[in-house]
Amino acid sequence: MFRAIWITGLVVWLAALWQPVVAATDVPRPRSMLILDQSEARGPFYYQVFSGIRAAVNADTDAHVTIYSESLDLSRFRGQANEENLHRFLREKYRDRPVGVVIAIGAATLDLALRWRGELWPETPIVFATFDKGDLSRLKPPPGVTGGIVRMRLQDTIEAARAVVPDLDTIFLVGDPWDSQVIFRNWKDEINSAAAGLNVIELVGLKMRELRERVTALPDRSAIIYSAIYSDGEGNFYPPATALALMADRANRPIIVAAETFLSPGGIGGFVLLPTVVGSAIARLALRILNGEPSPSAPMELTDAIKPIFNWPQMQKWHVSESSLPPGSEIRFREPTFWERYRWQSIVVVATILLQATLIAILLQERRRRRYAEVEARNRMSELAHLNRRATAGEMSASIAHELNQPLGAILTNTETAESMLKSATPNLDEVKEILADIRRDDQRANEVMRRLRSLVKMKPFETRIIDLNDTVREVFQFLSVQASTRSVALDLEETPKILQVKGDPIQLQQVIVNLVVNSMDAMASLPNGRVVTGRTELCNGTSAEISISDSGHGIPSEQLARVFDPFFTTKEQGMGIGLSIARTIVQAHGGRIWAENQTGGGAIFRLSIPLAKA
Amino acid sequence: MPSVVYVVDDDASFRTAIERRLKNAGYEVVAYPSAQRLLDNLPDESRPSCILLDVQIPGLSGPDLQTRLSDLDSTLPIVFLTGHGDIPTTVQTIKAGAQDFLTKPVSSDQLLGAVERALANHQTVRDRRGRLDIQRALITSLTPRERQVFELVVRGRINKQIAAQLGTTERTIKAHRQKVMEKMKAQTLAELVSTAERLGMFEMSDKNRG
Repeated sequence: MFRAIWITGLVVWLAALWQPVVAATDVPRPRSMLILDQSEARGPFYYQVFSGIRAAVNADTDAHVTIYSESLDLSRFRGQANEENLHRFLREKYRDRPVGVVIAIGAATLDLALRWRGELWPETPIVFATFDKGDLSRLKPPPGVTGGIVRMRLQDTIEAARAVVPDLDTIFLVGDPWDSQVIFRNWKDEINSAAAGLNVIELVGLKMRELRERVTALPDRSAIIYSAIYSDGEGNFYPPATALALMADRANRPIIVAAETFLSPGGIGGFVLLPTVVGSAIARLALRILNGEPSPSAPMELTDAIKPIFNWPQMQKWHVSESSLPPGSEIRFREPTFWERYRWQSIVVVATILLQATLIAILLQERRRRRYAEVEARNRMSELAHLNRRATAGEMSASIAHELNQPLGAILTNTETAESMLKSATPNLDEVKEILADIRRDDQRANEVMRRLRSLVKMKPFETRIIDLNDTVREVFQFLSVQASTRSVALDLEETPKILQVKGDPIQLQQVIVNLVVNSMDAMASLPNGRVVTGRTELCNGTSAEISISDSGHGIPSEQLARVFDPFFTTKEQGMGIGLSIARTIVQAHGGRIWAENQTGGGAIFRLSIPLAKA
Repeated sequence: MPSVVYVVDDDASFRTAIERRLKNAGYEVVAYPSAQRLLDNLPDESRPSCILLDVQIPGLSGPDLQTRLSDLDSTLPIVFLTGHGDIPTTVQTIKAGAQDFLTKPVSSDQLLGAVERALANHQTVRDRRGRLDIQRALITSLTPRERQVFELVVRGRINKQIAAQLGTTERTIKAHRQKVMEKMKAQTLAELVSTAERLGMFEMSDKNRG
């Protein structure tokens, strides 16, 4: 009997011992989780916690988990009646919904969940996230209830404040009354130790209006430390991030914050709580429990969930340098520099500009070389033209000698006549005077011949001035008249009465005419008689001057018409073939053109046209 | 009565200078700017005169004028003036009987010397021409028989041969021969041959024979 009782007791004990094991392994938990948080659904902090949870759940692709979530809004609704209503609501709502694990966020939620557990979710594990060790010692979570704890320390926040304001001597603590705080409640006990050596001024529980007034005139060397404000004290509630924005708008000192969600509304930063990290950490724990692992008895400390993060625009505003921040700090909202933002565009633009600059440089260089080559070509032309003129002068030496001998002969004879006259007893002085005048005139005439000869053989650079082509042609015809007569060639010049004003080098243009006329005379050398060279000047359309030199020879064979201006093309036995080629080069250098034709009545005609100079 | 110098030069200045110089030296000067003008006013060759002619003149050239004057049987000596010595032209004009060839500029000594020589030459030519004219006149006074005898005598035939050729007696030929010597005013046979030569009788009879 005694023994039976013992055995029974043993069996019961064993059964009792077995039962959870069987429950954990044999009966699978429903794959669903109910998330309870103490905020309202729109609060950014809890929203981020929730997204951390969802991200972790979605990351586990092995099996689907249904997520239910309830925002209890405990910071705005409190008291016995509210709790009972929530209890009843949840009981009715989840009557037929099996819940595999309950996630409770915040100490107030955990408190309610523990109280409701026996009735609503007996044996269902609870995973919590809380922000104060003190909460746990107060709530004493039973077995099956575990979670993560984040330690929010005022000391860290003050360290951040010292980093932001190096000569810090005063801190303003801003927030709702400590007892109604859900996350930062424990800071109140920490003030004495953490803020030693600083003036601590608590702006706690003020109406928003008063607060906004106060923060406009805070002293230098101070910083604001923001915990959380849920209400303006006049019946309006808002998420603490919104409240922060209202205050930051006015504050004349930097605001140190302790939650990631407080950065963008105007906090300069600090050791901030990362709600997504909290969410994903507890979600992973909950998933492990759903998958059958036993709940760890001790809560884990979520050290990853706090990180020094600072707000770049605020740092700029308060002139905080990156180097003074705590080691490992992250900087958010840093405006990417122009280089970072437009790196590729910049590279492309700079490369394009460089390429263009290179091209332009090359083109400029090319242009310079071309201009140089043009000058060179012009110099070569001048030299060649000079040689051609000297050759012409050589060819014409006989007629030049004749031209010189006429006046020289006259001078000699006149002089001797005068001498003879003066020897007589009664010299006729009037006649002597006349003779002297003649001598002077003949001397000038000889001089003129020399001047023309010099200009013909002188090496002159290409230079242009305004000239009348009629003068040019006339001078050449005069110059060549002697040579023409020795060669029995009649020279005939028909000038237009109009002025043919062109811009050109007179010597070189004369040379063109000389070459054409001499060429025509050469072409008629074999004629027994009737050798005539006719020069004609005309005005064409009022835009160009045309000169034609025609002869009465046999003309040019039509297949050679196009080639007569080619260098070294000649039909003469002793010709070099450069005369006409030089003529063409010179005409082209004057912007004109030159061509040869055969006249219908026989003989060749060379024409050249040069644009008129603009008046 | 001064001698006349005809100056043909297209260069007015040179022409004037030469004209002045020659007048100063005592000549009468007639100046023309072209050869044609001289041809249009042919000089009176009965006076001692000469031509100063520029080689290179427009239109009719110096050598052309020389040819034309020669065709006209002119006796005027021509002194050529040229701006530069052109050997082919010089040779051509000298061959054609130019008196002299001067190069411009020319000194007065050269010029006057050449003019003087030309005038003297003209005188000689005119004299010779005068004698020839007389002898030509004398020939016309010969009878045809005497003329025949004359031609044969100057060719060196002896009387006997001539008589045989003309079909007469030696005696008759001797009388004709005497008559010819008288009419031609020749003292010796040599003189007679010289006259015949001057009158170009050998050429003429050669031509006749050919």
